[in-house]
Amino acid sequence: MSSLVGFLSLILAIGINFYLLLSRYILRFKNQRFNFLIRLSSLLTLLSFFSLMYAYVISDFSNYNVFQNSHSNKPLIYKISGTWGNHEGSMLLWLSILSIFSFFFSFTKNTEDNFQKLTLIIQTFLHILFGLFIVFTSNPFLVNSILVNEGLGLNPILQDPGLAVHPPILYAGYVGYSIVFSIAVAGLFQNSDDEWLHVAKKWSLISWTFLTGGIALGSYWAYYELGWGGWWFWDPVENVSLMPWIAGLALVHSLMMVRGEQAIKKWIVFLSILCFSLSVFGTFLVRSGILTSVHSFASDASRGIFILLIFFIVTGFGFLVFLLKEPKKSNSLNLLFINKVSALVINNILMIIATFTILLGTIYPIIIEVLYNKRISVGGPYFNSTVIPIMIPGFLLMSIAPILSWQTNKIKNSKKYVLGLIILSFLVLIQSYFLDFNSWGFVGLLLGLWIILASIIAIFSSYNFKFNFKFFQIINPHIAHIGVGIAIVGITCSSVLQNELDFNLNVGDEFNVDGKRVLFKEIETTNQTNFQSLRGKFLFDIKKDQSQKIEAGKNYYPVSKMITSEAGILHKWDRDIYFILGDQKNNEWYIKVLINPFVSFIWLGVIIMMYSGLIAVTRR
Amino acid sequence: MNRIFILIPLIVLLIICIFSLIYLLSGKDPNKPPSALLNKNVPSFESSSLYNSNKVIKTKDIKNKKTLINFFASWCSPCKIEHPLFFEIRKKHPELYLLGFNHKDATLDAKKYLEEDGNPYHFVGVDSDGLIALEFGVFGLPETYLIDENGKIIYKFMGPLTKDILINEIGPLL
Repeated sequence: MSSLVGFLSLILAIGINFYLLLSRYILRFKNQRFNFLIRLSSLLTLLSFFSLMYAYVISDFSNYNVFQNSHSNKPLIYKISGTWGNHEGSMLLWLSILSIFSFFFSFTKNTEDNFQKLTLIIQTFLHILFGLFIVFTSNPFLVNSILVNEGLGLNPILQDPGLAVHPPILYAGYVGYSIVFSIAVAGLFQNSDDEWLHVAKKWSLISWTFLTGGIALGSYWAYYELGWGGWWFWDPVENVSLMPWIAGLALVHSLMMVRGEQAIKKWIVFLSILCFSLSVFGTFLVRSGILTSVHSFASDASRGIFILLIFFIVTGFGFLVFLLKEPKKSNSLNLLFINKVSALVINNILMIIATFTILLGTIYPIIIEVLYNKRISVGGPYFNSTVIPIMIPGFLLMSIAPILSWQTNKIKNSKKYVLGLIILSFLVLIQSYFLDFNSWGFVGLLLGLWIILASIIAIFSSYNFKFNFKFFQIINPHIAHIGVGIAIVGITCSSVLQNELDFNLNVGDEFNVDGKRVLFKEIETTNQTNFQSLRGKFLFDIKKDQSQKIEAGKNYYPVSKMITSEAGILHKWDRDIYFILGDQKNNEWYIKVLINPFVSFIWLGVIIMMYSGLIAVTRR
Repeated sequence: MNRIFILIPLIVLLIICIFSLIYLLSGKDPNKPPSALLNKNVPSFESSSLYNSNKVIKTKDIKNKKTLINFFASWCSPCKIEHPLFFEIRKKHPELYLLGFNHKDATLDAKKYLEEDGNPYHFVGVDSDGLIALEFGVFGLPETYLIDENGKIIYKFMGPLTKDILINEIGPLL
């Protein structure tokens, strides 16, 4: 029943969008009626999504999708997240988020009616494309042809609270760029005043904040669930999320800086189209099964071709309009040796080079395989040695960019900065000398701390401190950059100064980790509702009265016959002690311990960036 | 000049789409990478028989005849599915030499498996530590290689063979 409701409402929603798209050229709607229909189709899409979720919650195995991906033993939260833990459901989630964005956009005020309408018309066009994709190749409402009373389970690696929320948030970021895309294209068509730039800024900040959160959640999940002790692997799926993120960052900065310069406006349109294109391209790469990862569900070629077609149409349409209707009139670029505009231009160029470097590394294996029928893989070494050096000058510039002037080459209080930089370099040099010197570690640490220090100097020397919201809005760019600085410190320390220890231990053994005594207390196996768990229990720092417990182990999921590793992590503010339980051999357990310094700084930095993203939305 | 600049995204788009389309249409499966050994000489190996450890097979023993090498194990359930097909191959192509490598298996289990399901191979070599499979670049069991008279690998298949593959892909090569 719920499947029928879901399917019909989906069809109806697509139908309404068709009607709206055609009507633009046949009927002239009043705005109220137009907006009403947009909202109605959004609600119908959501109804469709929630009927699928309902089928998951009540374990309605007459729905083929539920049967394939769920199991009645699963805890409720994973039944709910199971809705998007598969290809069909996740595409429906994609469409639903698109609808939500259209829904909220239809309420924006202060925009010209025609412009708003045109933006929404482009949204309906996207809705139709993805809607048809779902109906024809990825229908989640197919009815099971046989009667069954149990389902086949969900990929156990995805049964994790972090991962239950990761897809919706990441999608909110990806799909949010659809509105930015539509706004930019509508702006091109209307060739109107600069009103659309303000609207685009708000939406691109929202999308970027969501995307940041989504990527961070996925990365945090990889950190504690995949059990390698790392949090970024330059996996193709990570790369496809990083590309729109960097392009989006460039977009946000351009939107903050634009003062009516024609070149920058053109650039903004280009970036807006690029961000959404990269989002769709990412969806294509992941969903077509060209890439293998935990994200690629069972796939077939027709799906891949359909979504490639969508990618081609959307991107082609965007860039074609860009080619034919480039923005006209306006002032020229005020470039000086070092002022705000030139800093912005440099930072944007660097970000785009980084984006295309990642793009090249991601699609290069596909091109090589087509041409030479050889499989190569492009991984960490390529990206680390290309992307990071490209970004370094940008990071250097970042520390002072917010206080640069618009009109002159002057930097306020330049002496303070020079002095600060010299003292800081000296301190970092001493610090690196006492730990084993590592050039990357030195550069990263210096950059990160320099950004933090320079931003703090800028805040205190340029503004009068007041404790109100307005003040926080004004210093927000500096806060965002402090977040980046903190994240860079975390990234540098956790990757350069990581320490790895291996042990072969019997239960009851004591060993030293990080200068503390650790007791391997016991091995425990228990039966949970949908898996069996094996846990090695450790007591950390047994000399102290309150020693801390660490549990590391594995879960076995009988329904899908899969084993997942569960790292045991002891979080401290300055380091994570990361335990991995290996195999047993001759009564001895292999145990790996990683000491990851300052990992928490990465997450703290990300949270600060997201906070700044949200504050920036409120500022006009 | 400016126009050419704006054309670049469209050109890049076209290139990406064309390559992706070819990739998709060629039916490539990312789970099954093409073998780097295709059209190369078969890696050298030496393996003793499952039934008699004094009997040894070496690379030069399969020269001058077409050989089908199959990696299998008693613990591998997809191997069980393709197993009956080897009897068919043997019946249809008596001249083809069937060489099985028993991969990371217990000798007793392997013998029992071949007793119950029958032994289609001319020779069953032991690869208990998986080193031979490593040389061949085996990804996962079962895997099947066709070697021509000159000792060149001319075909490779990952996963259980099917009748369709046997007739349409391996058949023409024999």
